[in-house]
Amino acid sequence: MKKITLMGCPNVGKSVVFSRLTGVNVISSNYPGTTVDFIKGTTFIGGEKFELIDVPGTYSLEPTSKAEAVAQTMLHEGDIVITVVDATHLERNLYLTLEILETKKPAVIALNLWDETRHLGIEIDVAKLERVLGVPIVPTCAICGTGIKELASAVGDAHPSKTLKQMSEEERWLKVGEIIQDVQVVHHRHHTMWERLADTTVRPTTGIPLAILVILLMFLFIIEVGNVLIYYLMDPLFYAYYGPLIVGAVNSFVSSGLLHDLLVGTSTIESLDFEQSLGLLTTGLYVPFGVVLPFVITFYFMLSILEDTGYLPRLAVLVDTGLHKLGLHGSAIVPTILGCGCNVPGALATRILETEKQRFIAMTLMAIAIPCMAQSAMIFAILGRYGMKWILIVYSTLLVLYISLGLLLKRIVKGESPELLLEVPPYRKPDPRTLLKKTWSKAYGFLAEAVPFVILGIFIVNLLSVSGMIDILSRIFSPILTTVLGLPEGAIVALILGILRKDIAIGMLLPLGMTPQQLTISCIILTTYFPCIAAFVVLFRELGSLAMLKAVGLMAVVSLSVGIIMRVIVIGI
Amino acid sequence: MVEKQLSDMKTGEKTNTDRGPVLLTTLLPGERAKIVALGAGSGRQRHFRTMGLKEGKIVEIRATQPARGPLVIDVEGTLIAIGRGMARQILIQKI
Ligand SMILES: Nc1nc2c(ncn2[C@@H]2O[C@H](COP(=O)(O)OP(=O)(O)OP(=O)(O)O)[C@@H](O)[C@H]2O)c(=O)[nH]1
Ligand SMILES: [Mg+2]
Repeated sequence: MKKITLMGCPNVGKSVVFSRLTGVNVISSNYPGTTVDFIKGTTFIGGEKFELIDVPGTYSLEPTSKAEAVAQTMLHEGDIVITVVDATHLERNLYLTLEILETKKPAVIALNLWDETRHLGIEIDVAKLERVLGVPIVPTCAICGTGIKELASAVGDAHPSKTLKQMSEEERWLKVGEIIQDVQVVHHRHHTMWERLADTTVRPTTGIPLAILVILLMFLFIIEVGNVLIYYLMDPLFYAYYGPLIVGAVNSFVSSGLLHDLLVGTSTIESLDFEQSLGLLTTGLYVPFGVVLPFVITFYFMLSILEDTGYLPRLAVLVDTGLHKLGLHGSAIVPTILGCGCNVPGALATRILETEKQRFIAMTLMAIAIPCMAQSAMIFAILGRYGMKWILIVYSTLLVLYISLGLLLKRIVKGESPELLLEVPPYRKPDPRTLLKKTWSKAYGFLAEAVPFVILGIFIVNLLSVSGMIDILSRIFSPILTTVLGLPEGAIVALILGILRKDIAIGMLLPLGMTPQQLTISCIILTTYFPCIAAFVVLFRELGSLAMLKAVGLMAVVSLSVGIIMRVIVIGI
Repeated sequence: MVEKQLSDMKTGEKTNTDRGPVLLTTLLPGERAKIVALGAGSGRQRHFRTMGLKEGKIVEIRATQPARGPLVIDVEGTLIAIGRGMARQILIQKI
């Protein structure tokens, strides 16, 4: 099977082209650096099967970040290259295009965002450009789908450039200038009112209050709409329909004993209990579907709006000065926000940062102080019943931790923290169907990951409790948990499960009958002490064993100290 | 010549009273200027150019962040956020 790679500058629409050609929806967003790893799919062109590879965007074949390095290696992987070019920024895109064509790989060019050239007053002579570059060129609008068929059939005609020879960097820039002179006319246009208005979102005086408002509204939306979904949709579903059905079915099959307890736990038809019964079919499904999924949906819906409008790079500009104090720069806001959904894509997204120092700091801070949505959902659910105050205590503590650890790490981690250099794309109107599709694919991804792991977690708990291991472990760890942290010794179960998954781990706190103070401390410790297994694996791969060891050491020290400090503050000695 | 001016700028010996080349950081919001030279190493120069910050291009400041934060500049229709240290490596001529 021949391989086709999709190469191009960041944010030119490669991932949308990939989704169009393969039918597989990959994430695309309106900011540079959405794709940070290669993604493979298959497509049929003229009856032949091809492997299509979506590649991170890069400005040139000399990488400046880890994501760009992936792009450079992937170019050599492919047999054919589809170079996706942003028609509204032809000049800038031509440098990379020339570099790619000079490798003499068979190539075709997609002149994407063609729909936007007209209102920007840009005219490109495609036939002439085709002659100069010596490969087929197809104008496309990946979003609307025009030109995609033509692009696919052009792949059949892909051939190495007949006109270009290897050039030095200087010659290449001259060539770019020459080509632009020849093929492009730009009619002068004034900034539109909208563009002027859009500036208010990056000017500090207006932008910072706006950013605070946006984040606050998002937070409220996620919690409130999430709660509405639980109250009016999930709880009725579980308590009125699913519960009686499943408990009845299990009872008619085995009415008591080990298997019965494993399946539905202590739940009976008369008193359904989805939170504490610890059955595979009760708590095991209620936690992912009934509690976490509603918040996952509201979170990713909001995130998709942020991503697709193009607000994230503007937020990056506004927080840049602050993040510099933590050894990072503005772009680090993207992995951080993604990490609020799930630390796994969050950690991967740190590949857009330039240096190892920045990536270590960003990943360590995320692993310690950024709870994923599954975890947040459980915190909302469990602490929310005692009032907003406790939720705020957890999140303020994590924020203080994030900042103070960042200040510290900036000083002790060796290496460079370069400045921000970021393209800020134009605002785009998000397409409602794309938003829903994106939200759905994230929710599906969450369920596919969460359901098996939560069920495994509950299985382990049952195993520990039936075998009597819980009592042994509780006794061993009771000095730290009870004496030092002021928690019930049973909290050890939550700490063990937290290595597997955080949502079910927090769920394990419920049967312990803790005070809100103890719950607050437990939630903070569960967030900070160790990442879940999925995040651990990715962090390990991204950081390497030595850096990971340091990060894990830091987590242990930090969570224990914060636990003690918070104990003193909220419970007293 | 350009290198000389750039190093003069860095040591602060020359003020920008005349119409000669000045640092991008001296441009005020709303003012327009033409890029005349890029300082720093060839890797950085390439990075600048591939993002559209190239000699001969017209730039305009659209926003500045406080406390030595980054500038948001408009380079012929593209917005680019750039840290001040990096902006100091771009030499412009006001127009
Ligand atoms: N108007 C218009 N918008 C487009 C077109 N193609 C892509 N977009 C939008 O451009 C943005 C970037 O698209 P992506 O597919 O994520 O770009 P990418 O090249 O994969 O970006 P990176 O992965 O960051 O390198 C998204 O907001 C798309 O909706 C197009 O042809 N026309
Ligand atoms: Mg992409």
